[in-house]
Amino acid sequence: MNFTITRQNLQKGLAAVSATIPGKTTLPVLSNILFEADADGIRMSATDLDVGVRIRVPADVKEAGSLTAPGKKIQEIARELPDQPVQLNSRGDQVEIRCGKSHFKLNGLPADDFPELPQVGFEGGWTAEGRDLLSLIRHTSFAVSTEESRPVLNGVLWELRDGEMRMVATNGHRLARMRIPAGPSMQTTTQLIVPPDALQQVQRLFAEDAEVSVARDGNQLGFSSGGTEVYTRLIEGTYPNYEQVIPKDNDKHAFVNRKALESAVKRVAAVASDQTHRIRMEFSQDRMVFNVLTPDLGEAHDEIEVGYDGDPISIGFNANYLLEVLRYVGTDEVKMSFKAPERAATVEPMGGEDDQVPDYLCLVMPLRLAD
Amino acid sequence: MARTIQILADSVANQIAAGEVVERPASVVKELVENALDARATRVEVAVDQGGRRRIRVSDDGTGMGREDALLSLDRHATSKIRTAEELRGVRSFGFRGEALPSIASVSRFTLETCARGEEVGTRIRVRGGTVLAVEDCARTPGTTVEVESLFLNAPARRKFLRSSAVETRAISEVLAPLSLAHPRVDLVLRSGERSLLEVPGTGDLVARVRALWGDEGADGLIPVEHDGEVAAVRGLVQRPDRARPGFRRVQLLVDGRPFRDAGILAAADRGYRTTIPQGTRPWIILFLEVPGGTADVNVHPTKAEVRFRVRGTVEADVEEAVRRALEREESAATLGSAPATGAMQARESAGPARRPSAGKGTESEGAGEAQIVLFGTVGATEPAPGPAEEEKGRGGASHEIDPGVADLLDGARGPRLWQVHRAWILAEVRSGLLLIDQHAAHERILFERIMERFDAGGEGGQRLLFPLTLRLTVPEVEMVQSLAGLLHRAGFEAEPFGGDTVILHSVPNPHPYFDAERAFREMIDELTHGSDLVRSARNQHERLAMSFACKAAIKAGQALDDQEIQELFDQLFATRLPWHDVHGRPTTVRLSLGELERKFGR
Ligand SMILES: Nc1ncnc2c1ncn2[C@@H]1O[C@H](COP(=O)(O)OP(=O)(O)OP(=O)(O)O)[C@@H](O)[C@H]1O
Ligand SMILES: [Mg+2]
Repeated sequence: MNFTITRQNLQKGLAAVSATIPGKTTLPVLSNILFEADADGIRMSATDLDVGVRIRVPADVKEAGSLTAPGKKIQEIARELPDQPVQLNSRGDQVEIRCGKSHFKLNGLPADDFPELPQVGFEGGWTAEGRDLLSLIRHTSFAVSTEESRPVLNGVLWELRDGEMRMVATNGHRLARMRIPAGPSMQTTTQLIVPPDALQQVQRLFAEDAEVSVARDGNQLGFSSGGTEVYTRLIEGTYPNYEQVIPKDNDKHAFVNRKALESAVKRVAAVASDQTHRIRMEFSQDRMVFNVLTPDLGEAHDEIEVGYDGDPISIGFNANYLLEVLRYVGTDEVKMSFKAPERAATVEPMGGEDDQVPDYLCLVMPLRLAD
Repeated sequence: MARTIQILADSVANQIAAGEVVERPASVVKELVENALDARATRVEVAVDQGGRRRIRVSDDGTGMGREDALLSLDRHATSKIRTAEELRGVRSFGFRGEALPSIASVSRFTLETCARGEEVGTRIRVRGGTVLAVEDCARTPGTTVEVESLFLNAPARRKFLRSSAVETRAISEVLAPLSLAHPRVDLVLRSGERSLLEVPGTGDLVARVRALWGDEGADGLIPVEHDGEVAAVRGLVQRPDRARPGFRRVQLLVDGRPFRDAGILAAADRGYRTTIPQGTRPWIILFLEVPGGTADVNVHPTKAEVRFRVRGTVEADVEEAVRRALEREESAATLGSAPATGAMQARESAGPARRPSAGKGTESEGAGEAQIVLFGTVGATEPAPGPAEEEKGRGGASHEIDPGVADLLDGARGPRLWQVHRAWILAEVRSGLLLIDQHAAHERILFERIMERFDAGGEGGQRLLFPLTLRLTVPEVEMVQSLAGLLHRAGFEAEPFGGDTVILHSVPNPHPYFDAERAFREMIDELTHGSDLVRSARNQHERLAMSFACKAAIKAGQALDDQEIQELFDQLFATRLPWHDVHGRPTTVRLSLGELERKFGR
């Protein structure tokens, strides 16, 4: 293997793949980046066995071939190279790097040791606008569960059906759901449970205006656009029926200024228990009252003006869940809906007259108030 | 020398709990050594032959007696230690009955040699079976020697019950142990025939004394107790939880310098250990109680082995609290090295019992105000009495410092540097060296105390679940869930029986982000239904649930924690009452002191 590449292209490739290199691994080859040189340029790949990233970058290839080389080291070196063409060539399992007067030899490992990334045929897949995909991911992936007992909840549910793309994530305490019309080309109907780590790579590597091809092959899912590919293993299992738990009969609605609510919650949460982060909220005619009482710590009382004309209700929440949800429901005004103190509450964005408001809903389960 | 011994009036004598004073050689030794200590001896030598059956000899360098006293001392109810029934209350000397010498003299060949300080000649009195054979001059240094030969020569029934020499000799060294703890400044020697069985110098170092009596292994794991309770001031040594073992243990209780037995007080001390040691473990306990005059009645048992407390409940509570406080301190934590950091513990006698204002003159309050033993010299306001105690200061006055709290662990206001290692332990750099914290054990302690607090405060609201958990359990488990419904609710679990073997969980507590509610609940109900050492060690239903919950809900080994989580765990652990011990009776923390590190590296 022997090729010459611009410093920019080398760095671009390294930046794309290196985030997938596992920090600690028992399989040394995973610390390496796979370089594959052919007539069209080079491909660089890295994987942690769950998620893999591959990128094609232009290079002047003199001799085709492949090799793996230590990812972190090459990155450190490339960062400080002068702005001149970089030549990489292999000598046995070593890779030689030359750039201007700089010359390095790094020990690598044979390309055969590197795990093969899945083969996914993108012809049988579908496409999605980068913009849509990124928005869906951003609004939902925060809500996945970190508990190990229900692996399906560790992923984001991605549904394609009825001309819509939806993503849903929940940890059983709160849930986020977003829907986006998929456009006329979308014929596929499918349901996937995608690990958030892979979605994070998608978010990082694909631009808003990218046309992203997506395809599934058995247990693997691939994303591809402009020479960059992300592969991931899918989470197996049946996602719980989330539609069923999203309340349809919440009849008490509060219209709240998001910033005012956010800072009130932050204020009172300062005296909430560091275990439960519990705060109590009471709604009555156009008023929202906060109360927090934590033995050994103290108490807080606060109040903001809201639009509310339902029956009075008092309900407890984990302040962290509320704050998180408010961060993603981006509009100035939000709508909170309730039925009863022990039932799910929902938070939705509210737009002005002609704003484009996303079809987004967050659900937060209350904390039971000990009385 | 002026006479100091008086015959107690019958009215007083009749109030004294009397009985068989002399049961076996060991009881003779006990009485004679007590007399020597009452006489402010600084050195007591005991020599026995054939387990004391042939000969017992106790010599002291105490006050000695003039001739008149020497003769009187052999009369029944003749004592210099009390005069009136009032003085019985709060009496600080071992003796007060005036029974021991006459009883011993009546069943043996008995020789008393004594010489009072400042007298030219001493007195020798020879008695056989209670009859005085001779009273003569003798030459000796100040002090007293009592020799008892042919014990029970006129009581064949008693003689028959004596055991082998070895057994009797062992009994003799057993009776010396508590007396030597009560007077750590007195040199004590025990010889059997030609063999020296015990030789403890009176340095006042209690740990050294324990070491001499009972060996290094036990003495190495002792930590100081020091607590001024509501009525009792409690000092002493107890075993570090990680050193305590099931089975045999050493226990010594003393009140106002007097050894005694008391199951209730001992149980209170054991209660102080609750949750810090596994069930069935029996820590060593050596406690010195000081109580105000009149609180402890010593006149209840013929051989003074028991004491009656006027406010027993409070004394027990003081003892429990004293032990618990000792276990709160850093010294109670497990160490990596073999030698725990028990500082030099110095006992200091302020006023020996016989040094109290001589009987009759001293008022009761004066007598009661004197503390016989002050452990850990600097603590407390008790001024050392002039005399021997003053001299001792120079060589043994080192005070024992007790860490005032966890803030002291750290240098300044800066938090410690913390690392998680192998996803199971947290390494903390603290002033004294390194702490190795077991993340699971530490979190158990945190959750246990938190949930117990919440029980008291009316309970914890649970997190409602979007997808209620449907659990299939066994029938006894479902019954357990039902019977615990109220408590479970207060712990944050809203469990609804759904008929048959099914229970639905609508809400669950959320003690940390990695909490697996279903698994924790299942394991907890299983443990509560089928029992375990842990839940058997609990005192009541609240504790049982709290322990089980803490154990099942705590962060597990293998859980990676980020820096903030590590910090929180550390802070929360050291905000608990017993940060060094988890609820199973294992350490949460192992200390590696700088001293130990330096030793290991040969510095
Ligand atoms: N070793 C000794 N040195 C000085 N005086 C002693 C010694 N042994 C006994 N006496 C004197 O003899 C008295 C009688 O001793 P004895 O042991 O019979 O009674 P006690 O110690 O007063 O009470 P008890 O029967 O409770 O031990 C003591 O009160 C004490 O004055
Ligand atoms: Mg006596």
